[in-house]
Amino acid sequence: MFPYIFIGLSQAEKSTMPTKNVVEERISKFKNKGKDPAKLREKRISVCVELRKAHKDESFLKRRNITLSSLPDEEALDYISNDMVAVLPLDEIIKDVNSDCKESQTRGCQAARKLLSQERNPPMKEIIDAGLLSRFVSFLGMDDEPTLQFEAAWALTNIASGTTWHTQQVVEHGAVPAFIALLASPMLHISEQAVWALGNIAGDGAAYRDILIECNVIPALLARICPDTPVGYLRNLTWTLSNLCRNKNPFPPLSAVMQVLPSLIQLLHLGDKDILSDACWAISYLSDGDNDRIDVVVKTGIVSRLVELMSHEELSVMTPALRSIGNIVSGSDLQTQAAVDAGVLKVLPQLMRHSKASVQKEATWALSNIAAGPCRQIQQLITCGLLPPLVEQLRNGDFKTQREAVWAVTNFTSGGTVEQVVHLVQSGALEAIINLLQVKDTKVILVILDAINNIFMAAEKLGETEKLSLLVEELGGLDRIEMLQNHDNETVYQAARTLIEKYFSDDDVVGVKVDSTDDSFVFKTSDVQRTFEF
Amino acid sequence: LFYMLYLTNVKHVLCFQRVALLVASDIDALCACKILQALFHCDQVQYTLVPVTGWQDLGTAFLEHKEQFRYFVLINCGANVDLLEMLQPDDDSVFFICDTHRPVDVVNVYNETQIKLLIKQDDDLGVPPYDDIFRDEDDEEGGDSGNESDEGSEPSGKRRRFDEGAVERRIERQRAKREWEARRREILFDYEQYEYHGTSASMMFFELAWVLTKDTKDMLWWAVIGLTDQWVHDKITHMKYVTDIATMQRHVSRHNHRNEDEENSLSIDCMRISFEYDLRLTLYQHWSLYESICNSCYTSCNFKLWTLNGQKKLQEFLADMGLPLKQVRQKFNSMDMSIKENLRDVIEESSNKYGLKDIRIQTFGVHFGFKNRFLASDMVHATAALLESTEKDESDSDNFIKALDSLSRSNLERLHSGIELAKRKLMAIQQTVASCICTNLILSQGPFLYCYLMEGTPDVKLFSKPIALTLLCKYLLKAFVHSTRNKRCKLLPLIMAAPKDVEKGTVIVVGIPPESETSDKKNFFGRAFEKAAESTSSRTLHDNFDTSIIELKTDDRSKFLDALITLLS
Repeated sequence: MFPYIFIGLSQAEKSTMPTKNVVEERISKFKNKGKDPAKLREKRISVCVELRKAHKDESFLKRRNITLSSLPDEEALDYISNDMVAVLPLDEIIKDVNSDCKESQTRGCQAARKLLSQERNPPMKEIIDAGLLSRFVSFLGMDDEPTLQFEAAWALTNIASGTTWHTQQVVEHGAVPAFIALLASPMLHISEQAVWALGNIAGDGAAYRDILIECNVIPALLARICPDTPVGYLRNLTWTLSNLCRNKNPFPPLSAVMQVLPSLIQLLHLGDKDILSDACWAISYLSDGDNDRIDVVVKTGIVSRLVELMSHEELSVMTPALRSIGNIVSGSDLQTQAAVDAGVLKVLPQLMRHSKASVQKEATWALSNIAAGPCRQIQQLITCGLLPPLVEQLRNGDFKTQREAVWAVTNFTSGGTVEQVVHLVQSGALEAIINLLQVKDTKVILVILDAINNIFMAAEKLGETEKLSLLVEELGGLDRIEMLQNHDNETVYQAARTLIEKYFSDDDVVGVKVDSTDDSFVFKTSDVQRTFEF
Repeated sequence: LFYMLYLTNVKHVLCFQRVALLVASDIDALCACKILQALFHCDQVQYTLVPVTGWQDLGTAFLEHKEQFRYFVLINCGANVDLLEMLQPDDDSVFFICDTHRPVDVVNVYNETQIKLLIKQDDDLGVPPYDDIFRDEDDEEGGDSGNESDEGSEPSGKRRRFDEGAVERRIERQRAKREWEARRREILFDYEQYEYHGTSASMMFFELAWVLTKDTKDMLWWAVIGLTDQWVHDKITHMKYVTDIATMQRHVSRHNHRNEDEENSLSIDCMRISFEYDLRLTLYQHWSLYESICNSCYTSCNFKLWTLNGQKKLQEFLADMGLPLKQVRQKFNSMDMSIKENLRDVIEESSNKYGLKDIRIQTFGVHFGFKNRFLASDMVHATAALLESTEKDESDSDNFIKALDSLSRSNLERLHSGIELAKRKLMAIQQTVASCICTNLILSQGPFLYCYLMEGTPDVKLFSKPIALTLLCKYLLKAFVHSTRNKRCKLLPLIMAAPKDVEKGTVIVVGIPPESETSDKKNFFGRAFEKAAESTSSRTLHDNFDTSIIELKTDDRSKFLDALITLLS
């Protein structure tokens, strides 16, 4: 279940051709791949999508609670004594809610809401099965009973926060138009509760999100943004907007995206960290798609603000900003260039050295995609000092980060100029990836072997193949590659064997070389101070 | 009372399966291994024996055998780490662990499905109660969701609105959880702070054999040797030794009683174990009395034989006993029978005058046939010398097999070669001790004493081995305590370092607790070494099953020591 797909090799794997042909085929694929970074990126994107999807599924079950809301405190809602509410058993509640007396309805509704707000085992199913939802939805429309409206909205919000089935019950009882209408309530706390409920419905998935969009939820929401909207309200609103941008298959309609974007941009310039966080997440969802989707985001001119937010002190802001930029640099060369121009390369080194491993990994992932660009961008990457942190990650990063770093090296070596590849080797990357040949992950080994092959092709252009062979041997690479010929995986075995046959089999050549070993290597490791030119 | 149930279970399970037997490199483990092999032989259980010298070895051995084996028996290794975490075994691998290393890792204690510990129940493990160190994840469900500790992760798609009271309760619960965690850290710190040893593995297996009524005299003798190993190598307190000796004595009388008839007809291949109140003179029956006195830790330290005065005192002592020098210096075997007869009493009497009050100790001896007589400690020294032989470039496993062989009575030749090696080792230890004391190589570093054997020191190769270096360490510390006048220094623990692998540029480092009559033999260096290595990023290898023995890059020695001093001050 490894999410990476590696085109060249997975095809070779299927091949039954004799080794020699396989070699050539692989090399030709290799070149193609080098020439087509766009394609490469596409694959990388799909990989990350899967990764992220898995992650989302996990976090989906988690709930979070925002304590700082503009909604009134429990204590403020003192129209009914709390003691009286707390003790009501479910059958009382049902009776009250179904009664015709407003006071009973309010009391029952509040008691139900309390049950649904308790931390453990809120009786969602029981309340649904008791047939209370249609009553609650009807309460939403009672503009002359704001207390009842509020309690019903809260109860429905919490039921909609459950599983898809729970959300479905709420929607099927006609809550969507009722909540959208409620957005316009003059009572701020009621309107905000409606925002929250709509957020839960939108967060269920693409289908309900699009139903909300069709019901024109977006203009109704955006109408509530004005200079004196309280911060707490805006936080809920931003979160709901982000859910309207979320999910794929399908993406939200482009027209909806265009509607939301200007307000999102506006929110991104506020100072509150929760607002910034959710707005950034929204952007990250919108940029997590094909190049057309990315284009919509880039064209708003928000890239430089996102790069700025990558340095935000709050992890909850920095992470989605980094994710958004990561998505953008997985786009076309032009889109990547927008991020580079905004200074992303100046921020990445510090993020690659961040104390949190997940940040290092995301930053390295972004770097690997920039390294897949044209040599002009690779040059900028070198100039901005990205090679030292890259090599550090190869050496000491946690495994997921090392995996991204290895990709960066392979992308770099397939798109970079000969001089750039030499520079990479001199920075210690070759030594580091050779050390990583010991890992158990087959895909990573294949990617490394690919990188080594790329480096040899660069050496070939310089006529320095033998020197490189010696260097690889000196760094212990030959032993490792020889070991890989015993690898269980057929493709690894083939790749290792090809390298050995091509660059390490000719004894004479090695003999001749010996004189020159001492002084002059173009390919030298970082800690060896021998100077040589190409 | 011990875990009878477990033990019979072990037997039950192991009877029908092939078993991988992973055995650490110490004498007690070898003896336990012999007993288990004999039991397996009885029941025709197939097994594969794999000697392991350290954690890396253990990991490799497991990887190599995990496909073919479901059951692993670990002797004197595996208890003091989270084994499942380290080996990542499949769910159906089962480990039977009989290991003297303490403290036992708490996960091993509480995992009953894959880890079966063979531990004597009256060994006080002091394991913290389950509820103090583990919490069911369910308990945290409420507290976990919604807390933003995993800050930076993607927000949830749906959120429930809690009432304010719930929020407060959640905060309260998180506070309680943090407190609980802090307490847990404290409890675990206390629990894991000191390293020490429990009941010998060979005694455990002997008692297993006894419960199964399969015990033999050979097994009994091995159990005695295993226990004696713990005494010789200073792993248990004197109290524990005396108690366990008493247990063994009961078994010995039972066996002797059982075979009373045979005893009267000593035959060439008979074996007789006897309780002895014998001299603490190492290998004296296989050496000359004089050499044994010179090379035994007890006498050497008490006379301070590294001083001229000490040598003079020794001569007076010998004169006091009224033994002719010629007799004393010749092989014990060739001494006059008349002298040998009441030798122990004679020596004890004179010793008392010279302040050597406890030159005799409870132990056991064995007769093989008519002429071969060995004390349990003879066996320990001989087998240890074979196990860590540096003679030729023999592999660890060759040495292991030889050492194992020397425990069989069918292989007395091997045993005798071990005794010769042991004599050389003891002389080397004595000379090294003398030269370290005389040239003041023991430095007080504040919280501990430190002694570094330089490359080029005679016999330094011998001390690249853990058991030998530990023994040297103990002898040296005893000698130092006898020779120094500095009262504070007498109470300090000792760290010794000796070259381990010159090519790799590493030293072996051993730390031992302070020397005292009432020492509880608890060693805190394991934890301290780990911390010091961590804080200085010293290149260390914590591969030994004893955490107080590590390998360290020679270049990192000074920063490592500095950190230790700071840590322990």
